[in-house]
Amino acid sequence: MPAKNLPRKDLLRGAISIVGGLALWEFLAQLLLENDLLIPPPSSVVRSFWNLTVSGELNQHFAATLIEFAYGFTTACVIGVIIGYFMGMHKRFDEIMDPWIATLYSIPIITVVPLIIIWFGIGMVSKVIVVFKITAVAIILNTAAGIKHLDPVWLELAKSLRLGSWETTYKIRFPGALPYIITGMRLGVGRALLGVVVAELMAANAGLGYLLRDSSETWDSPKLFVTVFLLAAMGLVSFNLIKRFERRMAPWRQSAEWSTE
Amino acid sequence: MNERTDKRISNLLKLASIVAGLVLWHVLAVYVVNDRTFLVSPVVVVHTAYDMLFVNGELYPHLFASSWIFFYGFALAIVAGVPLGFVMALSPAVRDYVNPWMTTLYSTPRIAFAPVLLLWFGIGGGAKVAIVFLGCLFPILINSYYGMRVVNREFVELARSFRLNSWALFIKILLPASVPFILAGIRLSVGRGLTSVAIAEWFGATEGLGFLVFFAGQTLNIPTLFVGVAAFAVLGMLGFEIVRRVETYATPWRKQSQGG
Repeated sequence: MPAKNLPRKDLLRGAISIVGGLALWEFLAQLLLENDLLIPPPSSVVRSFWNLTVSGELNQHFAATLIEFAYGFTTACVIGVIIGYFMGMHKRFDEIMDPWIATLYSIPIITVVPLIIIWFGIGMVSKVIVVFKITAVAIILNTAAGIKHLDPVWLELAKSLRLGSWETTYKIRFPGALPYIITGMRLGVGRALLGVVVAELMAANAGLGYLLRDSSETWDSPKLFVTVFLLAAMGLVSFNLIKRFERRMAPWRQSAEWSTE
Repeated sequence: MNERTDKRISNLLKLASIVAGLVLWHVLAVYVVNDRTFLVSPVVVVHTAYDMLFVNGELYPHLFASSWIFFYGFALAIVAGVPLGFVMALSPAVRDYVNPWMTTLYSTPRIAFAPVLLLWFGIGGGAKVAIVFLGCLFPILINSYYGMRVVNREFVELARSFRLNSWALFIKILLPASVPFILAGIRLSVGRGLTSVAIAEWFGATEGLGFLVFFAGQTLNIPTLFVGVAAFAVLGMLGFEIVRRVETYATPWRKQSQGG
């Protein structure tokens, strides 16, 4: 959506839509539903959010998820770019790695989560591994593609400037592949968030996934909705951050308004 | 080195990589780990898969259960997503009102909806289909939207100069022009749908591939766990390939469509 063309109107409509939707929800939930369990009205969700924040329970779970995510994501970025770089540079290495990366890529991650939990325990490590696996595969594939699809003219330029191999990598290949790398990161973020929550849901004692499970098993609907909203917010924020990052680091590349996953 | 030998070396390397990996896995499982509740050799996995497919047929009920959920959710997502995407593309007002809700729903990790949907629909088929539906809906919707938005201006002008009415314009120009985008959305949805099936079957299910994987994990039945994971991978590749074939058949003018 080209926000610049219609600066006011679409934002206004969006705001009306959200406020109206919430009001309608509150109204219907108060008026029609006897049972709070099914759809708690927004007001009781807000109250629950306040209580959970004051008691510090929410912070603790939120921090746990965030830390797991951050560890997995940063290691995946570093290792993914390095492996992807070598796969893009050396055809033979690419051929050796390819069958395994393709296999890893085609397995839905959440089916591997039980296995990872058996191997790495129910603590933080297994969640970091899940995030790492998801993000690393996306970044490796995209980095390799970026290095391979580099415009040969740039490499010729590097040659005629007599750049050394390190300088060529640092000044030509890496910036050239950067848009691809960032695309890989963006693809990784959404899936990794899903992965970490699934892993916490299956076996954990902290984190938003744990909170989700805990609240649904104790039929605490307001708390359940608080968690759902928080996860939605996390998704939105991380998606927008990476979009902004993408626009900043690779402004020459037009990015889609909505990521396709 | 000519191209043919190069190709041969390339295939040989890939094969060698697979074989070496499997051998390493076998050695690791049998001589290093040697614990059946932790890691089993690929030989055991293949043997279990063979048993479940051809000897006791244990895999089939799970496969069928999962397939039904997948197809219902997937079909519903297409039926709902494509028209909604079109309406959003043709009416800016609808787009602006729907957009904030859609963006929020789309960027939320899907698993978060599972307990809520379970609360609403119970542990029967309804909740599972709804989870798959939500998982598949957005890529299809968004791609239909884009497909309709980016229709070449010249096509539309051509239609106008032939004095097509708006219905004919829709059927003859807009719809065919957005087919490749819709198909790309459907292709993206295959993987997401399978993940959603696995999510759906972890909550209160008694059959299905997701249940199989989950239950095997809980009972430390590693061979079955690997078979379940492999089944998901095979289904994913199969679905992807089918949609790709449909794509090349339905839109022969497009050599390669972008996506993902």
